[in-house]
Formats: sequence, structure tokens, C-alpha cells
Amino acid sequence: MIGKLIMADFLKMKRKGFWFLAFLGPFGVIALQMVNYGVRKEYLLTQSEDDWGYYLLNVNSFTPLAIVLGIAIVTSAIASVENETNAWKQLLALPISKKTVFLSKFMVLAFLLLVSSALLSIFTLGYGMYLNFDQEIPYSDIIIFSFYPYFAALPILALQLWIATVSNNQGIPITTGILGTIITYSSASLPDWLIWKWPAVMLEWEEPIRIVMLGFGFGFLLFIVGMIDFVRRDVK
Amino acid sequence: MFLSILQSEWFKLRKSKISAIILAAPILTFLMGLTMDGFEFIGDDEVNDWLLFFLFSNLTYSLLFLPLISGVFASLVCRYEHQAGGWKQLLTLPVTRGKVFMAKYTLLLLLVFVIQMLYVVAIFSVGTMKGYTDAFPMAIIWKSVFGGWVAAFPLVALQLWMSMIWKTFALPLAVNVFFTLPTILAVNSETYGPYYPWAQPFLMMYSVEESMDSVFYVPWDQVLLVVGGSFILFFFGGMIYFSRKAI
Amino acid sequence: MEYIVETKKLTKRFGREYAVEDLHLKIPKGEIYGFLGPNGAGKTTTIRMLLGLMKPTAGSATIFKKDVQKEKIDVLRKVGSLVENPSYYPHLTANENLEALRKILNVPKKRISEVLEIVRLTEVANKRVKGFSLGMKQRLGIAASLLHEPKLLILDEPTNGLDPSGIIEMRHLIKRLPTEYQMTVLISSHLLSEIDQMATCVGIISKGKLIFQDSIEAMRKLAKQKIVLKVNNHENAWRALLAKGIKAENNQDAIFLHEESDDGVAEAVQTLVAEGYAVYRVEEEKRSLEDIFLQMTSEGNLK
Repeated sequence: MIGKLIMADFLKMKRKGFWFLAFLGPFGVIALQMVNYGVRKEYLLTQSEDDWGYYLLNVNSFTPLAIVLGIAIVTSAIASVENETNAWKQLLALPISKKTVFLSKFMVLAFLLLVSSALLSIFTLGYGMYLNFDQEIPYSDIIIFSFYPYFAALPILALQLWIATVSNNQGIPITTGILGTIITYSSASLPDWLIWKWPAVMLEWEEPIRIVMLGFGFGFLLFIVGMIDFVRRDVK
Repeated sequence: MFLSILQSEWFKLRKSKISAIILAAPILTFLMGLTMDGFEFIGDDEVNDWLLFFLFSNLTYSLLFLPLISGVFASLVCRYEHQAGGWKQLLTLPVTRGKVFMAKYTLLLLLVFVIQMLYVVAIFSVGTMKGYTDAFPMAIIWKSVFGGWVAAFPLVALQLWMSMIWKTFALPLAVNVFFTLPTILAVNSETYGPYYPWAQPFLMMYSVEESMDSVFYVPWDQVLLVVGGSFILFFFGGMIYFSRKAI
Repeated sequence: MEYIVETKKLTKRFGREYAVEDLHLKIPKGEIYGFLGPNGAGKTTTIRMLLGLMKPTAGSATIFKKDVQKEKIDVLRKVGSLVENPSYYPHLTANENLEALRKILNVPKKRISEVLEIVRLTEVANKRVKGFSLGMKQRLGIAASLLHEPKLLILDEPTNGLDPSGIIEMRHLIKRLPTEYQMTVLISSHLLSEIDQMATCVGIISKGKLIFQDSIEAMRKLAKQKIVLKVNNHENAWRALLAKGIKAENNQDAIFLHEESDDGVAEAVQTLVAEGYAVYRVEEEKRSLEDIFLQMTSEGNLK
């Protein structure tokens, strides 16, 4: 059942710019480094012995922000597809459970963001190779830097999807998304329990894999909470 | 006539959960101010505690929050027109499109002004609760908040334009993010930063620290060139788009 | 009789307001049930509860002998619906809109062309719905509701916003459904004339309460006739009738007889002629269904 719903959701995403955004996010993050290194490569190379590592750090200063804002954009956009002509009432009058409807939207967006993360790893590698650092390519670090922030952001995805699907006024989820971004950006001075901090903090932790575990755990938890509330509500 | 359109705009907006969104910024500033550690320099005569905290808050506020939230306001003032054919109803009233555009834009500027004021209130509250004893740097804060407001004029115009094109909140936000995130990089560059429109709120609100003597210094060339230039581009671009838009 | 839809004490409250109160709906199999009531009477709320879109505050709804709350998915498998304004995805074509639903409903692909044929949208199948007229969008909504060959079709104000030819077309389509596809149809409307031309059963709702439910014939019987007599000096003529024990009402310029049988009318006329009054006209005045509907719903309002 869920498979069919996911296929239907992918069909509805046509011509709405989702795939373009999935490309634009990682491309933008690397494009900023193209500008950064294009303008002052010599200076940046003097900043660290480990040029690849320093390059990855530079990329990573934008990845968490792009993910948190990207989540706010795509969750609101997917809710808008149903909100526009109130297609919720048509969709939910089909012989499917509301739970699977919510799950399907989550899965579709989780996949979309996973594609973005994969693109990020490819773009990171590509531009890194173009920069031609005199060093071995740190493949495993590229993977970590490209995918860990995504896994750490799963709770945010669950939360934003919940808010977006139950809000009539999309100004609300967009605002929570922006507030989340502010927290992500200021994460260094804020407490660890704020989920918006997680996509940005993995480097400070001794075992970055722990943030992935936390992401899955709390992502699942918030998903369940959001789903229960979504199911509980009357359809407008 | 213009005033009545403006009043009508405000009336429509009032019912759009606007107060919750307006209060989001000062509340976040307030909470973050309270939870942040390492900024207690009470007793240190060298640095004004207020100024230190203000500048620290300005970093996120002017770099990200102000440009992004003004985009949300722009989407909000277009939201009820996109729903259920509001545009055609509004524009078949005896009003010109130019005045409708102006009314929405004016309302947006007022909203941005309100959040600037509330931001000061939040800063003041945090400082009072933390017991700052230094003199409140009224002049610097006023100049900075006013400067940030003016610097947001072109950004608001662009977002209004984008919000008139798209029904969803998501796409204007995507445009906003696309231009706002590079600011983080742009402000690092003394050569290019001053010419980037999205960096202007930050430059206006953050540059006061350079020298306490030049508190009242406003870089007029930069204001006129970058803020004025981008304002003309975005404001008239939006207005022309709107006056030709097929409803 | 076998009831496809049956509700017991179905109630929905929003805050303090009762949108629907103690509704006992009974829709027999194979009928076209006209669900009639003024705007805001609770029709759409009832329909939303039947479709499991809203949870009742109290009471229950049973469709195909199954509780909608408990076995929602099983029920919805055999129900097609179009609630209020048609829902669609404007950025997709008619074909793609139906495909997005078909994937979920798991019916063969050929159903898409079949239902598009039924609502006559085959020619615009590959055009985006954004550019459709309201009537075309409405028809697309009907096509969507027919996709999985439902046994119960629930249509909420399906002719809203259609032009006259669109309304006639819709009417013909709906009338065909019970015989050709063995469907039961629930159709809501605020227009009695519309229900009158399509429905075989009627339920009237006013202020959230069901104030009438029976066959359309039973409702028509309520449209009682009245005999109107126009005479000279009707004031005195009326007294003369009453003196003879003939029940009548004196109106401004005419007399209304309570008795409607042929003999009764003949007796009254004879009496008047015998007493020397000039009888100008004897007319039968039929109360329209519209009058009955208005009377019923305004009585509902008084409660």
C-alpha cells in the first residue's frame, strides 16, 4: 500500500520544482565554495595543513543551514500541493489510512533529501578534485560530511512535516523553519538538546555516529507524535 | 484613498496569525539571550555590556533572521489574495494596481519596523534581567536598528514581487534563502560585501563597533548606491510585474 | 429494506454550536437519495462524517453494515465521493490527476480512459487542469469518484457552479448510475428543484436536524391541493358556507375550501348558487414543493 502512495506522491511533485530544489541545495552549497576558493584560494590554502579537511569544513559551514531551510521549504511545498484545492479531503476519502498518508509524505521527502545529500557528496568530490589539493582524497570524510547532517536533521524533517500538514497558514511552518535555522546557526552557544543544533554539531562530538543514532531515534519519535496528531485531527 | 487601502490591508492581515509571527523574533532573541553563556562581562569597565550583547545578537538577527522573516511577511500579505480569487475581487474595486502594490509594500515596511522595535525591547529585557549596569547605548542602538530597517527596503520589495508570482510560501522562501545564505560569505569580504544587497542589514547593524567615535557615521555612498539601486530595481520590477499580471 | 447508509444519533458539535444533531439517516439500496437543506444546515458536515473525514461528537454512521469509524478503510473501498468544491492538482493533467489516485486505488489503467469517457473529458485528458473551466473540474471530480467502481457515490452539491447544459448533463449521468452500475447515490443540494428531478428518496435537514425523510412521492403528496372559489361578496358567501357546515377560509378576495373531494366541491358550489351568489371561478391551487420545503425549513428555524 505504502509503495503505491509513494508513487502517487512522486507523481504529484511533478512540475513543482522539488527536483530542481533538491539539486539547487547541494549545488548552492558548493557554488559558495567555488566563489570562496575562486576569490581567495591562496589565502585559504595557508589556513591549514590539511587542505581537504579545511575545504570540507568550509563546505560544512553551509550544509546544516541549507538542510534546515531546505526542509522548511519542501515540507511546506508538499503540504501546499494538497492545500491548494483542499485535496486532503479527496485523498483521505480514499481507502487508505491517514497514517500511511503521513508516512508516505515523510518517506518521499526523506528520499528527496537523501538524493540531495548524495549530490552534495558528488559535488564536494568534484570541486575538491578540481581544486587539486596535493593530498589523498578523504573519501570516507566526504561521505560523513555529506550524509551525517542529513541523518541528524531527520527529527527536524518530522517536526516540520507535522507543522506544515496541520497548518492552514503556511506562514507558521515557514517561521518555525526560520527560527530553527537561527538556532542551527548559533548552535555553538546553545544547549545540546535543541534538535536544530544536531545537523551542525557532529564535529564537536567524539563519535559523530552518535548524532546519526540520535537523528534516527528522535526522528522516529517526532514522526510518531506528528502522525498521531495528524490522524487525530478532522479533515478540513 | 491610499490610506483606506492600507487600512483594509491591515484589517485582512490582522486575522492571519501575524502577531504570533511578529513575536517569534523577539521571543527567540530573548530566550537565546538568556540561555547563552560567556557574555557576562559585568564589572569590566572596558566594554559596555549592552553593546556586547547587542552586537552578538545582531550577528544572527541581521544576517539571517531579518531578511528571511521579511520574506514571510511578504508571503503573508499576498496569501489571502491568492486564496479563493482574492486578487480579482480586490482589483475590480475602484483602486489602481499601483496603489495596491504601494499599500502592501508600506504595510510590509511598517511590519519590519515593528519587529525592529520589538527586537530592541527583547535586548533591553535580557540586559535588565541579567543586571547590566552600564549606560544603555541608546544612540548606537537606535542608529543600528533604523539602519537595518532601511537596508531591508529592497529585500522586502523583491520578496513582495516573488510572493505575487507564486501562491506557495515555499518558492519565495527558496529565492530568499538562495540570496540570503551567501551573505555569510559575502560579509567576510571587504571588497565585495558592501555591494551585496542582502549584506546591507548586517553591515548597517554590525558596523558600529569599528569605532565608538563614528557612531553617527552613516556610509551614505553605500546606502545610496547599493540599497537605493537594488531598491529601484526590485521595487519597480515588482510594480511593473504586478501592473501587467494577468489575474 | 436494505439500507446502504444508516446513521444513529449522529452528532457533531463545534464548540457550543451543534452543526449536526441526532441525525438518523436511512438510505435504501439502489436509490438516489436527495439530501436537501439550506446552506449551512449541516449537509457537508454530515457527509464528512460519512466519509470518515471528521469524527462524530456522538452517535455512529454505518455504511454497508460497517461502522465508518471502526472499519473506515473497508467502507471507503466501495465509496466514491466529491465533497464541496472539486479537489484537484492544478499543475497536473487530467490523466495525471486520475493516475495519482489510481495508483492508490489499485485499479487497472484502462479505468482512467473509461471514466474520462463517462464524463466526456477524453479530449482534454492531456491538458493541465489549471486551465479547465469550473464545469470541467467538476466533471473531473466525478470521474475521480467513479474510478474504483464504487457501490455508493456521495456527491456534495455536484451541480454548484455549472451552466444549465452542464447541470442537465450531470443529472443524466447521475440518473444512469443506479441502473447501469448498481450504485446507490447520495446527492446533497440546497435546491429542491434539482433533487426533485433526480432523487427517488429525500431527506431534509435544517439547523442540523433531519426534519423529513421519505420517498419523493411521499413528499409530493404533501403538496396538497387547495380549492379556491372566487365569488361576488365573498365575505357573506363565506358565512353562508359556514352556516351550512362547510369548512372554508375567507381570504382577501377569495374563499379557500378545506374539502377537496369532487362531491365536496360540488356541494359548496351548489350551496352558493342556491343562495344567489355569483360564482366567477373555481380553481385548484397546487402548493409547490418549494413552498413545502420553505415551510418545513422555516419551521425548523423556529425550534
